[in-house]
Amino acid sequence: PVLPEGWSGEKDFKPIGHLSHATDRNIEPVGPHFLAHARRKRHKRTFSEDDRI
Amino acid sequence: MSAEADPTQRVAIGISFGNSYSSIAFTSAEGKAEVIANEDGDRQIPSILSYVGGEELHAGQAKGQLVRNTKNTVAYFRDFLGQDFKSIDPTPCHQSAHPIQHESTIGFKIQDSAEETENTVTVSEITTRHLKRLRISASDYLGKNVNAAVITVPTNFADAQKDALNKAAKEAGLEVLQFISEPVAAVLAYDARPEAKLADKVVVVADLGGIRSDIAVIASRGGIYTVLATHHDYEVSGSVLDQALMDHFAKEFIKKHKSAGDPRENDRSLAKLKLECEAVKKALSIGTSANFSVESLANGVDFQATINRSRYEILASKNFAAFARLVTHAVEKANLDPLDVSEIILGGGNSHTPKVASAVRNLFPESTIVLAPSTSSTAINPSELSVRGAAIQASLIQEFELEDIEQSTHPAVTVTPHTAKAVGILLISGDEGTAVFHTIVDAETPLPVRRTAIIATPREGGNVLLKLAEGLRHIKITKPEPRVREPSSDDEDDESEEEEEEVREKTWKVDAVLSEAALKGVKKGAKIEVQINIGHDLTVNAIFREVGGKGGVRGILQGPKVTQNGSA
Repeated sequence: PVLPEGWSGEKDFKPIGHLSHATDRNIEPVGPHFLAHARRKRHKRTFSEDDRI
Repeated sequence: MSAEADPTQRVAIGISFGNSYSSIAFTSAEGKAEVIANEDGDRQIPSILSYVGGEELHAGQAKGQLVRNTKNTVAYFRDFLGQDFKSIDPTPCHQSAHPIQHESTIGFKIQDSAEETENTVTVSEITTRHLKRLRISASDYLGKNVNAAVITVPTNFADAQKDALNKAAKEAGLEVLQFISEPVAAVLAYDARPEAKLADKVVVVADLGGIRSDIAVIASRGGIYTVLATHHDYEVSGSVLDQALMDHFAKEFIKKHKSAGDPRENDRSLAKLKLECEAVKKALSIGTSANFSVESLANGVDFQATINRSRYEILASKNFAAFARLVTHAVEKANLDPLDVSEIILGGGNSHTPKVASAVRNLFPESTIVLAPSTSSTAINPSELSVRGAAIQASLIQEFELEDIEQSTHPAVTVTPHTAKAVGILLISGDEGTAVFHTIVDAETPLPVRRTAIIATPREGGNVLLKLAEGLRHIKITKPEPRVREPSSDDEDDESEEEEEEVREKTWKVDAVLSEAALKGVKKGAKIEVQINIGHDLTVNAIFREVGGKGGVRGILQGPKVTQNGSA
């Protein structure tokens, strides 16, 4: 959409709401992408930290 | 522990252990899963053991003994492992050794030695012997001593059953690296193919086995799988298809040989009938007609007949419909609509039957891909799905320490928050009523997640407002007005008839706007890249940037206030 006149926000960003509460579910410990997820979680890494390695 | 626990000495395979059939597979050096045939040349190895004069017969050879040596032949025992005698259904074992209560577990009274005495052999001992034979077949084929495995189990296999299976496998010389569930293994078998593309999708895995059917609805998000719903049925299975054929041929036999009697009333005749009907069913999955022939079916009378596929499809039509209903039922259980399902994977031996696939096909929209040999040229053999998945998983974790595997599969790792609603960006209009919602992160996506999307800008460029919102999937039903039939080609006639039906579509409703961002001075016709990172704590980190441009806008949205309800 086109920016309306007179819109302003700090650093051009305006937070309005936040996400709905998440639901806890069990992911299946199977496949290469899970293993990557488990590695990140156990070493408490973020995506970008993981990419760098 | 000795060399067996040393990961470098490990030779691991995938095992699918079923009530009716088992199979074994390994992953080749090129990373392709290959199913191993046993020494009889079978890739689908019957889970049957039989004893004749102290000699152990296994698989296909043991299956032949179901006719002559019923009492010393053990079949359909997988689901008895780790179970209480009262909780099992012994029906499938009527035509083989009957399960009996033995202390706290289940046993079989069989003559398994050369002596004429009956021994009680526990179900876990039977499982050990079966797994040992599978291990030997795999070792012979690979020329290496196989000592580890990933084994597939149904989604409703309790911990006690897994423990019992683990113990039985250990006795057979196999270190179980991991138990993985059958439907997830099937999805992995498809996703591990080189041509497969990772996508966020909902997959239904329908496994039509010999004595049970299992359906699972799985959300696949970036190659990570979450089971949303499962359904198990012990009535609708391959054996009812066999039964339809058995009744048909028994009636034909009685018609022709009135004095010989009903072959279903004599145990040995019934066993012959059952074995032959299963073979006929398999032949009808490949060819359009099949021969039925049994020597001395009943009272010394031979019987031969033929049947074509359409006759069989009429005989078993209500069973096919019942199976298709199981699939829709599982989708309902997951609170989803058939329109939400992108793929249906048909597994289990009975999915070879073309009518099973077409019955499922008819209940789902055109957009849903049905992966079965008769509906898709790229489908994997349904009998081999879970064992392939197991072999792939085995190759992935073969090098790991057992302790590492246990820690990684611990609930602390696997219990993960999943998004409740889809997150996306509004296109065309800023007004929630008229905007088009473009999904970036789907609902039921495990966190943390990072997704990037490329979206178009207004044609004239300039300053652009980017609204991030949560969306809800909505099924829009429209009834088209009856059209006047135009007398033209036949094709169009068919179409207009179909159009009488209501049209169901998937649409999105904007639930709540999360943030607004402004990107100024966008070039004409440029595209905008939107990247969203959602953290564990539901913090959203959004980056908006013109493709090829520098800078861009970033913003952080805090997660909702944590409500103390004791959840981890």
